[in-house]
This record gives sequence, structure tokens and C-alpha cells, in this order.
Amino acid sequence: MKATWKLADGSEITADITNGTNMMQAAVDNNVPGVIGECGGCLSCATCHVYVDADWVGKTGTADDFEDAMLDVAEAERTDSSRLSCQIEASDALDGLVLIVPQP
Amino acid sequence: MTVWTPKDDGFADLTNHDTFANGAPHNTFKRLRDEDPISWTDYDQGEGFWSITRNQDITEMNRNFKVFSSARGIRMEDQSYEEYLARRTFQEIDPPEHMHTRVKLAKAFSKPVVAQFEEDIRDLCAEILDQALANDSFDATKDIARQLPMRMLGRILGLPDKDLPWLVEKGDALIANTDPDFTDHVLDKMETDEYRKMPFNSPAGADLADYAKTLMAEKDASGDTSGILHLIRAPGKDGSVISDEEFRNFFCLAVAAGNDTTRYSIAAGIQAMCHQPELLGQMQTGDDAFWDLAPDEIIRWATPALYFRRTLTQDFEAHGKQMKEGDKVLFWWASANRDETVIDDPFRVNLTRSPNKHMSFGQSGPHVCLGMWLARLEVRVLFQELSKRLKKIEPNGAHKFLRSNFVGGIKELPVRVHLQ
Repeated sequence: MKATWKLADGSEITADITNGTNMMQAAVDNNVPGVIGECGGCLSCATCHVYVDADWVGKTGTADDFEDAMLDVAEAERTDSSRLSCQIEASDALDGLVLIVPQP
Repeated sequence: MTVWTPKDDGFADLTNHDTFANGAPHNTFKRLRDEDPISWTDYDQGEGFWSITRNQDITEMNRNFKVFSSARGIRMEDQSYEEYLARRTFQEIDPPEHMHTRVKLAKAFSKPVVAQFEEDIRDLCAEILDQALANDSFDATKDIARQLPMRMLGRILGLPDKDLPWLVEKGDALIANTDPDFTDHVLDKMETDEYRKMPFNSPAGADLADYAKTLMAEKDASGDTSGILHLIRAPGKDGSVISDEEFRNFFCLAVAAGNDTTRYSIAAGIQAMCHQPELLGQMQTGDDAFWDLAPDEIIRWATPALYFRRTLTQDFEAHGKQMKEGDKVLFWWASANRDETVIDDPFRVNLTRSPNKHMSFGQSGPHVCLGMWLARLEVRVLFQELSKRLKKIEPNGAHKFLRSNFVGGIKELPVRVHLQ
């Protein structure tokens, strides 16, 4: 699938992602600044926080209880479209996904 | 000039605490990374273990917590299941149970919440440095590095200032429980099993447990909810409440881990300044972008937690080695942090290293350090404040390492300073 990250400076990074990869790992693999993933996708750090683009909210699923709690820990402000990107898995259904990286 | 040259012969005994009293055996780690990255060691005090020494291998295994479990203990020493249950904290519990505790505490240790302490930390640093720098030669571990984390810990936990020196002494006895300078109960030289069910297998654990009990009773009586200790006693998402034993263990963990890791990071940073004089000027002219990077490099250089252990829940093969269910596996952060395939010129401190794939906080796994933002902030502010007061800092005799294969730290750091 293809995914695009919109960065705070207005630039974009688009990459091909192997299905099954989580979107934190995909961001790290593609050097997307602002997505760090210090806990390796284990839901322990909230450094992979992104906003899901309005067109894609609902298609990426919803945060479970632990993710919901950890979203309160993120550095940037939490909104209704906030997710920890390690909890979003690449799949054909998400082809074209757009994620917005918060302003640091 | 290199900062520090490892002196081991490449075949150091990783089970022997005396090995580490000369600093981590980096020639041995280098040989293992090159020749035997999944290496078996026999252990005369218990079951042998596998040492994992490459950064990339540790990164992959650490996130694989279902196979590499923390739920049989995190140190080299064996524990019976009974001892494990009596001494465990959320450090020794795998997800998803681990998360019940983490989410209670994560907000209090988050980057934005911790950032609110910055001015507090700066005031404390000024106070500590005014006192330490009144002399032109002193022990930088004792007079600087030991002071700041202790006082911040008091603020975070909501403890009275008057109790802090006693608490730090007990915390040292817990975590440096193999160094006779810090405890009378030297772990590998004791024949008694009396404390095996106490935190860190230490009589200091018993003392701290009594202290915590009295403290919380007093707080409850006066309705005092300051500090983070009340957070951990709140019911979890599943309605579960921490037991008295778990609370005691968490308190001991906070006192021990909250203290010496940051202390030894600060000490290692000061040692680096002594041996790489260019660091002082870089710090003095550093902008915000510089200070976003510098603390991680200082913390990489320090690697206060030398390893954490995991236990295999199933057979696992890597690099042609067959590891078996139940085997102990040690992730040597100390080696990962000097792995030249991931960290260029690892024996030099490069304060603008980016990316910095160090693993001092246990990155890439569910147990990544809860206090990492606080640690980074303390290190940042301390070195900002220290560097702006100094014209020069130099060694004033040899530094001494802790006798421990678990905690890497410079316990004595004699320095001479020239002020601005």
C-alpha cells in the first residue's frame, strides 16, 4: 500500500509500505521526522503520535483502552483524530492513507 | 584523545562484578559482537545465560516480549518463582498486565508534564553548583551528580527534604548491592537467604518498606495527595488495586532507579568533559537544537543500566544458535551503545549525534524507561548550568567505577575546575 505523511513544515513524504507493517515502523523506515517510536511499537511511549487525515478517520479503527490512555501522554495536543501510529497496520484497505505529523 | 580506553583482554568474565570495577569490558563486548553475537556463559552461582551484544539483535528481540519475557526476573541472578512474586514490580511483568501500571504513571512522567519542572531543576542546579564550585577541586559524583536526582526524586514522589539523604543511602544499598562501598550486605558474598523475598534481596529493601508504610499512613491521615505515589494506588482500568507488597516494591524501584541512573549519567558527562575539552565550548554555545540532542549522547556514553535479562518462553534460533525455552538471555545495553555498525566512532562523545540509536533507556521494548523525559531534562539543565560557570574542568586523579555488572557508574570522580 501507499501512505503519505504530511509534515508540520508543509512538506510530504510518500512511500510504499508492506502490508502488515505498523505505521510507526513505516515512518521510521522512511525517515519521517517527528515519528520516533522509542518503545518499538509496544504502546509504552506515545512518541509515534499522529493525526489521521479527516478522509481516513474511521477506516483506521479506534484506539483501545491502553492506547487511549497513552494518547494523553503525547507531547502534542490530542484531538479526535489522534492515534498512536504503531497501532495502525498497513493493509490494502488503507492504500492511500494520509497521516499528519504533529508540530513538535 | 579518546575519553577512556577499555583495558580488558577481550575474554572478561561477565558474571564477575570485579570485572566491572575497571569499567565495562568493552574489548570483550567488541569480540562478542564480531565473533559470537549470541554467546553462552556458564555461571557458577546459577543457571548460565546467553549474552546478546549487537544493537540490531537487541532491538529486534527487545520488542518481541512474548518470546523474551521479563516475567522471570530481569537480573542475571536466579530467583525462585516465590521470590519473583514477592519482589516483582511492573518492570518484571509483561504486557498487557504491564500496561495497567504504566498507564497510571505515564502522564506524570510525560514530556509536557515533566517540562513544568524545568525552572525547579534550574534553581536546584544553581544551588548545588554554588556549593560544589566553591572549592576548586572536589568529587564531582558526590558533590554534583548525586545531589540533583536525589532532590528531584523527593519532589516527584512528594517526600520531605529531611528524609532525602537517608533515602538515597538506602537506594544505593539496594541497587549497588554488589559494591562494599554502598552496602554491608554484598550480594555475591552473602551466605544468608534472609532477604530473598525483600526488594533487591537487600536489608535496605526492608527499611524502605517500613518507611513507605509510615509515609503513606501519614499522607492518608492528612489528605496529602502530592507526588506520584497516590497515582499508583488508584484503581486500574480493570478495577484492580495494587497490593501492599507491590506498592512497597514500586517505592523501592522508584528510590533506586530514579536516583542512580541519572546520577551516573551526569557523572559520565562530567568525566567526558574532562577528557574531551572541546565539549565545554560546544555546550557554552549550544542552541536549543543542540540541547535536544546532547542529553541522549551523554546518557549513551554513561549506559547506567548495563544489561537487562529476559527469559525465553519458547525455543528461539538466531545466528545459528539454538536457544531453548526457559533459557536466560541478557541484553547488554552497554555493548549495544558501543556497536560501531550503528553508532559511528562510539568511543567518542559527539554531542550532536543524530540519529542516536543508543539503548540506555531500553528503547524498542515495552519496558522503555518511564523516567526518560525527566532524565533528559535533568541532564540538559545540569550541563547548561555547569558549562556556563566553567572556564576549564580537568581530572584530578583517577576515577573509580562501581563494583557491579548491573549498574555502570563512576562512583568517584575527582576533578579540578577553573571558573569563568
